[in-house]
Amino acid sequence: MADNENARKELERLLAASVGDREIKPNVMFAKLSELTKAFAKPMVDWARVNSLWPLQFGLACCAIELMSFGSPRVDAERKGYLLFRATPRQADVMIVAGWVTKSMIPEIKRMYEQMAEPKYVVAFGECATCGGPWWESYNIIRGIDQVLPVDVYAVGCPPRPEDLYLALMKLQKRIGGKIED
Amino acid sequence: MPLTRINIGPVHPSTHGVCRLVVDLDGDTVVKVEPHCGFLHRGVEKLVENRMFMQCPPYMEKLDYVAPMSVDELYVSTVEKALGVEVKEPAAYARLILLELQRLASHLFWFGATCNDLGQMFTGFMWGFRDRDIVLKLLEEATGQRMFYVNMRLGGLVRELPPDFAEHALSTMEYLEKRIPAYRNLVEKNPIFNERMKGVGKLSRSDAIDLGVAGPVLRASGVPYDVRKDVPYYAYSALNFRAKSASEGDNFARYMVRMMEMQESIRLVKEALRKMPEGSAMGMPIKLIIPKAKNRIAMVSRENPRGEEMMYLVADPEKAYRLSIRAPTFINLAALNRMAEGCRMADLFAIFSTLDLVMADVDR
Repeated sequence: MADNENARKELERLLAASVGDREIKPNVMFAKLSELTKAFAKPMVDWARVNSLWPLQFGLACCAIELMSFGSPRVDAERKGYLLFRATPRQADVMIVAGWVTKSMIPEIKRMYEQMAEPKYVVAFGECATCGGPWWESYNIIRGIDQVLPVDVYAVGCPPRPEDLYLALMKLQKRIGGKIED
Repeated sequence: MPLTRINIGPVHPSTHGVCRLVVDLDGDTVVKVEPHCGFLHRGVEKLVENRMFMQCPPYMEKLDYVAPMSVDELYVSTVEKALGVEVKEPAAYARLILLELQRLASHLFWFGATCNDLGQMFTGFMWGFRDRDIVLKLLEEATGQRMFYVNMRLGGLVRELPPDFAEHALSTMEYLEKRIPAYRNLVEKNPIFNERMKGVGKLSRSDAIDLGVAGPVLRASGVPYDVRKDVPYYAYSALNFRAKSASEGDNFARYMVRMMEMQESIRLVKEALRKMPEGSAMGMPIKLIIPKAKNRIAMVSRENPRGEEMMYLVADPEKAYRLSIRAPTFINLAALNRMAEGCRMADLFAIFSTLDLVMADVDR
């Protein structure tokens, strides 16, 4: 620790000696370049992000069956860039909460949400995840996932059809911004 | 060598819901599997106690969401028994047809999900789901909903079967009849499938009886017990129906039993459509004030796609005083430890998927 401190002081002294009394200006050319790349890159990053939303393969209850139908041939999810469902939260962008959330599942869901890399989005899929659905009176259910996580889009229905999930994800794309391929 | 303890789940792509398994491993060999359930518990049996009889079918359908119609029908027939309502002949046939279609959809779902669980045989998943969608289309035609039908009323159905239903159903059955040999051709020559299925996860006949497993899991262990055959309901006794069973008790036997049941269901639907008598299949209109319960206690069991499901109802005049559900999946889950003993870790999910579990039915 003391060695590090001494080395830092030595470095500062050397730097000060080499600079002397000269005035240091920011490097104008590089600053402008970085702004330029940012300006160019932002739409491109947005475009890429919007058109390759990778959902988390995470089914809770009935709506998970429709989630599987979403990936099945009739409603082919890959057409729009909602690629294959990822089984690990670390590779996923969108968490689709499909089903009722019991009190014993809350810590697990929170933990998975925290494991996802930023930027991350949540879709509440179905009545149960939106507001508790038919179980709103039950003693073991929270009335909607929005009490735990920030929800971006709600899809309602019991269960919503796979096409409704399409609609929800398209709304999410609009929300993220960027150019959407029709 | 010390044992390794591995936690699987509760969120895992192959657990068909939310199930947590704690596995003790000796090297790569499974010594013990301990399933932890209850992550989907929402107290259905309690909720039913505060509602009138015909408010409850939507709750019941969410028990077994891969085959909702069968649980719906089971609940309604339990109530019918308590109230002393008769089911007319055309309605009985219509119910039988819908139940068998539901069984087909459920087994096709199982086929797809199992192919997916066996290490990304994704073609099987795609095929299973494509044909399941065709059956669901048929059910949607008859009931108006894609997944949760709520199509049963006391003594019959909510609405008549549509006029062109028989024609559509027959053409679909003919299509599916050709598809099932195609499935078998797809998977049975596949070396991965054979390695994971044949001789893995054996459950002997005596173990199956002791553990009380139900449905295809029981029949694959050499016990030809089928509620449709042994305690026939509706028109099963009038139709030419044979219970399918196998004797090996391994994963492949369970697969074979389901495949044979699909063929049997197709045959049953065709025969029932042919023999269906003329007349109205409509049930009583839904009213919250219905005839008062005559029998205090009613118990009905049905052969659902996952096995023998049973409901035990203690009835107050207008609502259930207590409803108890015997879920086949819960009991089949208990057999997992016996089946997985001594198998490889990689085979564990092949065994798990042949049990065909629905976790919402386990946890209730």
